[in-house]
Amino acid sequence: MPNLAVFIEQRDGVLKKVAWQMISEARRIADANGGEVWGVFLGQDASTATAEAGKYGADKVFAASGDALSTYNSEAWSTALAGFCKINNPDILMIGSTAMGKDLGPKVAAKLECACVSDAVGLKFDGGFEIRRPIFAGKCFTDVVPKTAISVVGIRPNAFVLEEKGGAATAAETFDPGLDGIDLKAVVEKFETSGGGKVELTDAEIIVSGGRGIKGPENYQLIEKLAETLGAAAGASRAVVDAGWVDYSHQVGQTGKTVGPNLYIACGISGAIQHLAGMSSSKCIVAINKDANAPIFKVADYGIVADLFDVLPALTDEVGKIRS
Amino acid sequence: MKIAVCVKQVPDSETRINLAAPAAVLDQSGFTRILNPYDAYGVEEAVKIKEAGGEVEVTAITIGPETVKETIKKDCLAVGCDKAVMITDPVLDGADEATIATVLVAALKRDEFDLILFGNKAIDDDSGQVGILVAEKLGLPHISAITHLEIGEGSLTAHREIEGGKEVVKASLPAVLTCQKGLNEPRLPSLPNIMKAGMKPMETVTCADLGLEVPANLVEIKLYSPPPARAECKLVEAEEPAQAAKELARLLNEEAKVI
Ligand SMILES: Cc1cc2nc3c(=O)[nH]c(=O)nc-3n(C[C@H](O)[C@H](O)[C@H](O)COP(=O)(O)OP(=O)(O)OC[C@H]3O[C@@H](n4cnc5c(N)ncnc54)[C@H](O)[C@@H]3O)c2cc1C
Ligand SMILES: Nc1ncnc2c1ncn2[C@@H]1O[C@H](COP(=O)(O)O)[C@@H](O)[C@H]1O
Repeated sequence: MPNLAVFIEQRDGVLKKVAWQMISEARRIADANGGEVWGVFLGQDASTATAEAGKYGADKVFAASGDALSTYNSEAWSTALAGFCKINNPDILMIGSTAMGKDLGPKVAAKLECACVSDAVGLKFDGGFEIRRPIFAGKCFTDVVPKTAISVVGIRPNAFVLEEKGGAATAAETFDPGLDGIDLKAVVEKFETSGGGKVELTDAEIIVSGGRGIKGPENYQLIEKLAETLGAAAGASRAVVDAGWVDYSHQVGQTGKTVGPNLYIACGISGAIQHLAGMSSSKCIVAINKDANAPIFKVADYGIVADLFDVLPALTDEVGKIRS
Repeated sequence: MKIAVCVKQVPDSETRINLAAPAAVLDQSGFTRILNPYDAYGVEEAVKIKEAGGEVEVTAITIGPETVKETIKKDCLAVGCDKAVMITDPVLDGADEATIATVLVAALKRDEFDLILFGNKAIDDDSGQVGILVAEKLGLPHISAITHLEIGEGSLTAHREIEGGKEVVKASLPAVLTCQKGLNEPRLPSLPNIMKAGMKPMETVTCADLGLEVPANLVEIKLYSPPPARAECKLVEAEEPAQAAKELARLLNEEAKVI
C-alpha cells in the first residue's frame, strides 16, 4: 500500500500542469494497490492547488507557507519537502522535471539520503516501485529499482495521461516547513521574463520546430505562426540556434530541451541523432522535409516530402479552420 | 582562488546502442568516449576565470577507468586546467549517482576549493544529479544549469534559464555550479598544448587512497531495453503541397486526434 506524494509546483501563483499528470498516475497506482495520494504545496495560497488536486484524485493536500517560500529558493524549498517526507513518510515523492523540479529533486534526496531517479517516463508498483527512464538520450530505456524506503522521482512532463476523477476537493492541511533561522545560501535576486504569453517548450502539448531548412531567421515566423495557431510552443534545431536565428531557449535535443509533447512537428529538420534525443518520446511526430531520405522520417508518424515554404502556410490555414 | 571541475568521460553522442531485446546488462565496451559536452562548459569557464587574472589554480577531477587519461589530457589539461585527479577503482564500476557524489566529496575535501564546477548533466545517464548532490553533501550553495557567471569579492552571480525567462541568482563562495549550454564556447586544444599537457601533474588514486569505504548504491538498474518501436511513417502525398497540408491537418485531427 504505497503512499504517493506529488509536489505541486507553482511560480508566482501559476500552477504547473505536470502536477495533475503525476496525481492522475498516482491515483491509478493507489487504486490498484491501495495507499493514498498526497499533493504537497509550497507557497502562499493553496486553495486553487487543493481544488485542482482533488479533481485529479488526490486524497489530501499538505501545504506550507512563509516568507522563505514566497519565491523559489532551493535551500528553503528542499528543506520544506524533506521535512514533509520525514514526518509523513510517503513511499515516493514525485517532482516534475521542470527547471525548478530538476534543481529541487536531487537536493531533497540528498537531505533524505534516499534514492533519486531523474526524468522518469513510467512508473510501476508491485510491492516496490519500478521506474522506467530513458538513458543515452532516449536510445535506451532502463527499469530502475530504488533501494531505500522512500525515493524522489523526477517525472517528465506529458509522460502521464491526465484523468479527472471528480473527487471532492479536500481542504489543505498545513504543515510546518521548519525554516526558522534557515540560511538560504543561494538567493534569487530577480527574474527577467523573456516576453510573456508564449507557450513553454518543456510542458507544451504541441511543439512546432524549425531547422536549417527554414533558410534564415526571417522565416522562423512561419514556425511561430503555425505554433500560435495550434496553441503550441516553437522549437528549433541546434543548427538554427547556433546560426543565431533564434535564442537557445528554443533548442530541442541532447544539449537543448527534452520534450515529450502529444504532437511534434519538425519542419526542415534532418533528424540528427542529437535532435532525436530531445524529442523522440513525442507521442505523434510529423516531418516536413524535402529530402525523402532524411532520418527524421524514420521516427515520424506522418510525413510530407515537400518544400516547407509551400506546406507551412497552407497547413497553418487548414489548422486554423479546424481549430475555429 | 582554487577551482575544481568535475568531469566525466561519456560515450560519443553519435553512439548507437545495439540492444535488440531487453537485457540485464548493457555492453558498452565498443563505445568511442569523449568529454561530456556539458563538462566542457565547466572547463572553459574555469580557464576563463584563470585567464582573467589573479592567482587561480584549476584542478580537473574525474572518476573513471584508466581510459579517462587521454580525455583528461586532451580536453582538460591541454585547454588550460593545471592538474588532474583521477579516481580509478574497479569497485566503482556501476556506481550510481549517489555513490559517485560521495566519492567526489571525499576527493574534493582533500583540498579547499572556492568554486566547484559540474556539467548540467552527463549525456550517458542523463541524470543531472551529481553536482547538486555534492553541493548538499558539502553543505555548500549551488546554482544549477547556469548560462552566465560573474565572480565578485567572495560571492558570485549566475543566470539560469527557467520557463519563461531567467533567474539571476547570487551566492557566496565557496559554491557549486552546474554548467549549461550558453555559458561559453569551449575552445579546442591545439596540438602543441596536447603535447605539453603530458607534463602537467596527473594523480591517480583509489577509494582506499581517499580513506573511503564505498557506500552501497541507492538505485539498481534492473533492465535495459530498446526504445519502444515506432509505427511506419505515413507519407501524405498529393499533387500540390497545399493539398498535402490539408490532408495532413485532417489526419492529425481525425485519425491521430492530436489537434
Ligand atoms: C555534442 C552534440 C550535441 C548536439 N546537440 C544538439 C541538440 O541539442 N539539438 C539539435 O537539434 N542538434 C544538436 N546537435 C547537432 C546535430 O548533430 C545536427 O547538426 C543538427 O540537429 C542539424 O540541424 P538541422 O536538422 O536543422 O540541419 P540539417 O541537418 O542541415 O538539416 C536541414 C534539413 O532541412 C531540409 N530542408 C532544407 N530546405 C528545405 C525546404 N525548403 N523545405 C523542407 N525541408 C528543407 C533538408 O533536407 C535537411 O534534412 C548536436 C551535435 C553534437 C555533436
Ligand atoms: N564519474 C564522474 N566523475 C567526475 N564527475 C562526474 C562523474 N559523473 C558525473 N560527474 C559530474 O556530474 C555532472 C552530472 O552528472 P549526472 O548527474 O550523472 O548527470 C557531470 O556533468 C559531471 O560534471
